[in-house]
Order: sequence, then structure tokens, then C-alpha cells
Amino acid sequence: MSDMRNKHKDIQKTTYGTLGLALFSYVILSGILLAIPFDVKTPYSSISIMLVTNPWASFIRNLHFWSAQLFLVFSLIHLYDHFHYKEKIGFRKGMAFRLSLGVLIIFLAMLTGFLLKGDADSQQARQILQSLTERIPLIGKALAFSLLGKTGSYQLIYVHHIATFSIFISIIIIEHSRKFWPKAGDFILTFFVLLGLSWFFSAPLHDGMNPSVKGPWYFVGFQEILHWLSHPEWSLLLILLLLILIYIVNSGKDRAAFISKRSLLILTAFYFVLTLIGLFFRGENWQWIQPGNSNYTYSVLNNFKSESVNFNPDFTEETILNTPKILGRKESCLLCHNQVHGFMDAHKPEVIGCFSCHGGNPFATIKTQAHKNMIRIPGNMASAAQSCGTTRCHPDISQRLPSSLMSTLSGMISVDRFVFGEQKNPDLLTDVHHLGNSASDEHLKNLCVRCHLGNPKDNYGPVNEKSRGGGCLACHLNYSTKAKNNLSAHQNNLQDTSYLSTHPNLSLQITDNHCFGCHSRSGRISTNYEGWHETTLEAKQKPDSSTYRLIEDSRVFKKEPEDIHHKLGLECIDCHHSYELMGDRKHYAHEEDQQDVQCLDCHFNGKPLTTKAEDLDNESAVIASLRFGSITNKQFLTTHKHRHALINTYVKHDSAFLITKNSKKLFVLKAPAKICNDDKAHQNLSCSSCHSAWAPSCIGCHNAYDPNEPGYDMIKNRRKKGSWIEYTGRFDAKLPALGFKKTKHGNKIIPVIPGMVLTIDIASYTKQAHDSLLFRRLFAPTAPHTTSAKGRSCKSCHNNPVALGFGEGKLYYQVENGKGKWTFEPLFENNPHDSLPEDAWTGFLKNRKGMVSTRNNVFPFNVAEQKKILTVGTCLTCHKENSTVMKESLNHFSKLIKNRSPKCILPDWK
Amino acid sequence: MEKYNRRFFLKLSASGVGLFFVYMWNKLSLSHNELVKPKVLLFPFNRNKAVSFLKDFIVINKKGKATVLSAHCTHLGCSINKVENGKLVCPCHGSEFDMDGKAIKGPAYRSLEKIPARVNSEHTQIQIDV
Repeated sequence: MSDMRNKHKDIQKTTYGTLGLALFSYVILSGILLAIPFDVKTPYSSISIMLVTNPWASFIRNLHFWSAQLFLVFSLIHLYDHFHYKEKIGFRKGMAFRLSLGVLIIFLAMLTGFLLKGDADSQQARQILQSLTERIPLIGKALAFSLLGKTGSYQLIYVHHIATFSIFISIIIIEHSRKFWPKAGDFILTFFVLLGLSWFFSAPLHDGMNPSVKGPWYFVGFQEILHWLSHPEWSLLLILLLLILIYIVNSGKDRAAFISKRSLLILTAFYFVLTLIGLFFRGENWQWIQPGNSNYTYSVLNNFKSESVNFNPDFTEETILNTPKILGRKESCLLCHNQVHGFMDAHKPEVIGCFSCHGGNPFATIKTQAHKNMIRIPGNMASAAQSCGTTRCHPDISQRLPSSLMSTLSGMISVDRFVFGEQKNPDLLTDVHHLGNSASDEHLKNLCVRCHLGNPKDNYGPVNEKSRGGGCLACHLNYSTKAKNNLSAHQNNLQDTSYLSTHPNLSLQITDNHCFGCHSRSGRISTNYEGWHETTLEAKQKPDSSTYRLIEDSRVFKKEPEDIHHKLGLECIDCHHSYELMGDRKHYAHEEDQQDVQCLDCHFNGKPLTTKAEDLDNESAVIASLRFGSITNKQFLTTHKHRHALINTYVKHDSAFLITKNSKKLFVLKAPAKICNDDKAHQNLSCSSCHSAWAPSCIGCHNAYDPNEPGYDMIKNRRKKGSWIEYTGRFDAKLPALGFKKTKHGNKIIPVIPGMVLTIDIASYTKQAHDSLLFRRLFAPTAPHTTSAKGRSCKSCHNNPVALGFGEGKLYYQVENGKGKWTFEPLFENNPHDSLPEDAWTGFLKNRKGMVSTRNNVFPFNVAEQKKILTVGTCLTCHKENSTVMKESLNHFSKLIKNRSPKCILPDWK
Repeated sequence: MEKYNRRFFLKLSASGVGLFFVYMWNKLSLSHNELVKPKVLLFPFNRNKAVSFLKDFIVINKKGKATVLSAHCTHLGCSINKVENGKLVCPCHGSEFDMDGKAIKGPAYRSLEKIPARVNSEHTQIQIDV
């Protein structure tokens, strides 16, 4: 009687096996219910509909998921448990075989369940399963097709999941346990566990955007193994080995069983480690990634995001029905944000939803969960790869943007380090993300490097004159008046949330205002272009006159002639194309290297360089179509330097035209003036040498570090104590000086400005006595953006000390005793550091060597060149510029000099 | 004689029937697979686009001359759907291929399969012979 009771107790005992049986019954039960909302034709969509709109279906799916996961875990533990009692139980060989096979079938049932999600993870897992199965000798192809069916169809997978494998597992369980029903206690216990799990943790579903793809948790260890195998078919032997080991443990005896059991234990431990690696240390493209990496949350932790079920969502049925499907699925964002407008067509929420740009959780129906890890302001460089730059949107641009000079600031950094004596070559490639703590780098961080695209925009609002950086937003962000007003209303009253429905747009409407924030500084091409020259006046000193302008950062500008292109209505982007601005994957040292468009690309003689519409690169073709409609049969002008098409130009009937990108004004492009072609004497002059009306020049700047000055770190974007201070000297708007640039095609005369004429108190930062006060007199090549239709006069170069690099002063020619002599009287005193006038680049009739410019290949005129220029200047002291003799001199100067009148006294250079 | 008893013949016959079913299954699935597999596929061709991903194929276009590669990685068949720094990258295990489909980073070591294809004379459509 006592034996009977013990036996009965034994049978009633809760084991991993009995719990597994209870879990399996939940798998079957929830599976039957899940079949109601699940649509095998559109699995991904139907699951997203459950998650977003039907909490009960979502809950049942979670129940199915969790019961299956726990069933797998408990079955495996139960299996191992069995190894200890097998002598007592005494398996027959047939049953041992079926049980071993059962392990494989359980995995297949789990895997097919995973595949039936139909999301990005599942699609790749399906390919892996197919590829591996097909590599089984003889029957591989038939087996793969029988298991997975035809491409794109889930029918066979579904049949195997709900019937083939489920029935097989049921038979194995019944044969093995001799039971049909689980114990009531186990059934209730597992119910409560499943209830909690299913309520609070939803089964995973890939969002369709994140590039990280992983298999189910029990498969990632295997995925890690596959990563190391060039011949993944060998992994099939590993699976076979495992099944044989399980079989031997179940049916073998003594030593064979013991060794197999130990082997299984070691393999399980090894697999556990691989699983941890796969789950926590592998990100996009299965690359190694560890906690602390800036991408870790997006690449790794994103896989664990799991929303809870909201049984009482705050959506009407009508909203649910009207919510569009985005990228093949529903997303919960649009249930709340269903009236948002203001986008350009391609970015409308009904096309790309909210999640594509803003991240978060597209399946969560509780606000806090939906907004977790949300990108508040998408488009910044740090998150560009997760928003604008995802595979489905603009991946090419987000990949090449970091190489753009507007991202690296290479020239600015290299030149600054060169000036500080920390770098011998001003043309090295550098990057703003790699600044250290040297005197120069600190100087850059305090005063210069705010203007890079990686500098994040962290507040809502339109781009203004003070804006810096912001990644894609720097150029593409636009607010409508209503959006601006609603945002202001919210800023004045936080309860007013109308701004949420008036979204700013990201478009091709790139205006000069977008460029202004950064390009109104340093070379100041934005303000030059518009005809404004910066003064040293303070805001309160601004005269009450329309010839003065106060900009948002309190600098005062004075009116000067605007660029002829600006006068005609051309904006910055009418000349500069996307590859110049967003980079072309190459790293450039300086802006003139990255800058592509040259005057002669539009103002050409003879046959233009063109590209046919069908030969355009995709980006140019898309932009051209978006801006101008059909581009069929069009021929676009193409740049000579980097061979990029100018999509707002075209050639028709031997004429070239330009249409402004925003205002759509049409212009016939003119060839250069006759003088530019006929004049043989000035062929090595760049167009801007003659056609720049003025350029900003500043001299007499001093830099020192004050450890007590309230400062700012422009990389970390935070205030700090201590800062470099720049004490400015004079700002002038005048015709630029000229110098020459050595190129592989010969010397080219270019305009230059005093780029770095300054003193630097290095010791004030380093506190090292041996660090002296540095003085630099470096001029920089410039593209003034002050183009005038009429070129500068002959005298403005040949008789102008500023053009020649001597600085301002009186330059005059005298003839005494039959000998001619040029004399220069500088306006400014000589600087004690180099005995040259403060604003000079080189000495009058002197050579200058060593550090002379902010480039390796830009130099002032040497004595021989100065003499040549002044010799022509001598003629101009008597002859008018438009005189026949001067015109003739352009091509026959030597001949004219030979045959000159005795009255013409040339300078005696001795 | 003991060896070849009735049970032995029963087992032998049952195995024969089983094998016949395996044979039938193999024939059935392979024939059906052959029947349902598309032979020729037509896709719009974008002459301006250097790389187009068409689910199972990658169209590489060099000045109107198109090369079609299988989009399935030669390692495990995952769908390659992106170009990173001028290389085709497999999202599953990070194998990389150049624009000619040549494997340049493992685990894949075989090049992507080249699929015969033709672009029509108007350069608007590409026919892929699967």
C-alpha cells in the first residue's frame, strides 16, 4: 500500500518534463487562437496589425511566443535530466531515436515559428536555412523546397509549423510520457508565469529599418559559428554529431554514454558563450561591438526592445482603420500623430511614417515605450545613419557626408596647427573629431570649430543667422510660417502643442540663409556675396542707415558691392552642386580642393563639356527631376575639374542656359569677354583675380590664452573656465592682393587676403617659458564671391601696392636724370617682428621665403615678377588703359618696348 | 535460415515502400520547384542608378551597361541589400564583395553569381534570365 502511494507521488511530482507538457499545451492553445488574426499571405503586416491595433491578439501572440520559448528551455533541461535516470527508465532504441529526432523537430518548429514573422530577421534566417538545407547531399534541394516552399510564400512553412512538426512533437510527447493532459497544478503555475511575461514583454518583431539582423536567441550561437566557417555546410555535421550524442546518451551504455554526456555538457557550455557573444557583442553586419560604443544601443540593445501590451489604448476605431501601412507594416506612432502635415511628398507620414526618421518603438502603444530611444531631432550627423541615412533612404549621402570638408574642417585645423607651429605642413588631412589638447587644438575648440556639420542641432526651430552645424538639417530644414508660429506659441506656453501637427519640412529648398550661419565668418563668402562687409562696430554703435546691417549675432556689416550673380538672383546652390557640398567620398585638405565649379564651366568658349540625362548619376538625376520635372533628352553642362553635371544648366541649339534652382529664373550663359580670350599676357590669371570687386582683409590680430576667461568648448558644446581670446585689429574691404599658386599646369595668379597676420602668445597657454610669442605673416588664397561683371583696371594691379603684396601706401614712379625709379611709402609702420609694414605680404622689391601663406603652393610675387608688373605699371603712368598702345601691349609687349619713343623712360632697376 | 525469416522480409518490404516514398517525394518536390520557379523576370531599368537592389538580384550599371548579380551571399544565401563605401555588404555575417561581385572579405569566398540579363534598346527595362 505504501509502495503504491510512493509510486503515485512519483507520478504526481512536478518536473521539468511535466512543466514542459503544460507549456506545450499553451503553445497549442495559443497557436489555435493566433491563427485567427494571423495572415499567412502577409505575415509581417498581420503581426504588426495585432501589435498596434489589437491588444488581445498581441497578448495571445506573446503567450504563444513565451510558452514556446519556455517549452524549448524546459524540454532541453528535461532531456539532460533524463540522462541521469535513463537506466531506471530504460529506453528502447526506437524511442531513443525518435526522442533524438524530436529535439531536431522542436528546433524546426521553433525556427518555422520565427520565420512566420516575415520580418527582416526572419527573411534572412529563411535564406540561411534554405542555403544550409540545400547543401545536404542528394536530398538537399528537395528537402529545402519541401520545408520552405517557393520564394516569398509562407504557406508550406505555416503547414509544417502548425501541423507537421506540432503533430510529431505531440506524438513524441505522448509516447514518451504516456500522458495526454498536463497536471492541473503545472497548468496553473505556468499560466501565471506566462501571463506576466506575455503582458509585459512582447514577442520581438523587426522594425524594418534597423540594419542589424539576428536569428532567434537559440540560433545566434550557431550564427556565430557560421560566421567563422567559409564552408558552412560543415556545420551540418555538427548538428548530426549533436543528434548522435543525444542518441548515444539515451540508448548507449556505460563509457560511451558517459563520454557523450560530458561532450554534450561541454558543447552546451561552449554554445552558451557563443550565444552571449552573438546576443551582446555582435551588431550591424555581424561586426564586433561592445558596450560603450556610441552605436551599441541601436545595433545591439535594439534587439531586446519589448513593449508591453496596452489593453486600453486611447485610439478610436476610425483612427485605427485610417492608419496607413508603412513599409509593409502598421506603426503605432500614427495613431496619436495622425494629423501632422507640412512635409514634402517623399517624406509624408503616409509614405515613410514617423519611425523612419524619429526611431523609437513603432509597435508600442504606450507613449513612454513608443518614445523610448526616440530621435527627437533627426538629421544630425550622429544619428544620420539611423534616420536620413538608413538603407531605404539616403545611405550613400550619409556615408560620404563625413568625408566632406564641412564635416572634417581639415583646412581650418591644419592651417591653425601650422600657424601655431605644431604642424609643418598646412595641407595635411585632419578631422575635427580628432582634436587633442595642444595650444592650437584648444584655440580651435574655443574659437573656431563650431561650424562643422557634426555639431548637433539640439533645439527646435528654423535655421537662422546664428545656426551652426546640424547635419542634414543645416541645409535642408525649412519651417513654414505656420510651423514657426506654432512653435513660438509652444515656447511661450508649453501647454500649447499645436506645433506637433505642423511639422517643418526637409526639402531641396536650400536658400542662402542656410549657408549664412557658417559662411558669414572667416572668408565671409555669404556676406561678401550679398554685398556686406563686417566692421568692428558694436551693435550699439551701428549707424541708423540702410547701408549698415546688424545680424543676429550682433555683428555690424557695412554695404559694399554685391556679387553680380547675387544681383541677378542666383543663390549659393545655383553654382554649388550636391557632391561639392555633401562630399564625394574623397578627403580634401582645403576648400579650393573640394570646390568643383569654376567660372569657365558656365562661361566657356567653344564646345561645352556636357553629360546626357541618361548618363547622369542617380543622385543628380533624382535632384534634377525633383527640381525641374522631366529631364529626358537633356544635356547638362559638366564641371571640368571633377566632372560632375550641373543639373540646373542645359545646352540647346548651341546655347547654354541656367535655371535658378529655387526661383526658376532662366539665364542664357555668356561666354567670357573678348578681352579675356584675346589677351595673351594674362592667360595665367584666374577669373577671380580680375573680377573680384573686393575682399575682406583683417590685420593686426593678437591671440592669447586667459585661464580665467569664461570659455566654451565647441566640441563638447559646454562652457568652461579659460579660453583663447582673439584681439582683432582692422577690418577693411578692398581689392584683394594677388599672388601665385603653383599647380601642375604652371603658375596661376590668384587673389589672396591676409589670412593669418597675427601674434600668438603660446606661453600663455602652455606656461612654458621657452614658448615664445609667435608672429606670423601668412596670406591665404581666397574666393571672395564679390564678382563684378567688369574686371579690375590695369592700374589696380600694375600700379597698386596692395595688389602687389606691399600693403597700403604710396607707390609712385619718378624720372630723375633720365633714370626711372619706383618708390613705395607704406601707410603702416614696420612690424618689429619682420620689419615689414603691418599689412604687407612681401617687401617692396624684396623676395620673401619660408612660411608665407596658409598653403604649401601659394606665394607672393618675387622681385623678378614685381619688376615685370611694375614695368607695365610704368607705361600706365602715361598711357591710358584703353589706349591703343596699351591694348597692343597685351600681345606684343616686348616688341613695343623695343620700339618705344625716347620719351618713354623705363625703370632702372639697378 | 534464422536470418531470413518472415520478419526480415517484412522489414525489407517496409523499407522498400519507405524508399519509394522518399523517391516520389524527391521527384515531386524537384519537379514542382522547377515548375513554379520563374524563368524570366522583367524589371524597370534605371540607367542613372549605378546599383539597384531587386530583391533577389543586384543590377550594377556602368554607363548603361548592366551586370546582374545574385543578391544572395555565397556564404549562406542572405540577401545583400546595401552598398557601404563602394562595397556590397552582407548584413548577416559581414561578407563583402566588390562591384563586380568578387568576394573581398569573408566568410564568403566565392564571387556572387552572375545572372544573364539584357537591357532593352530604350534602356527602360531589364530582362533577367533566372
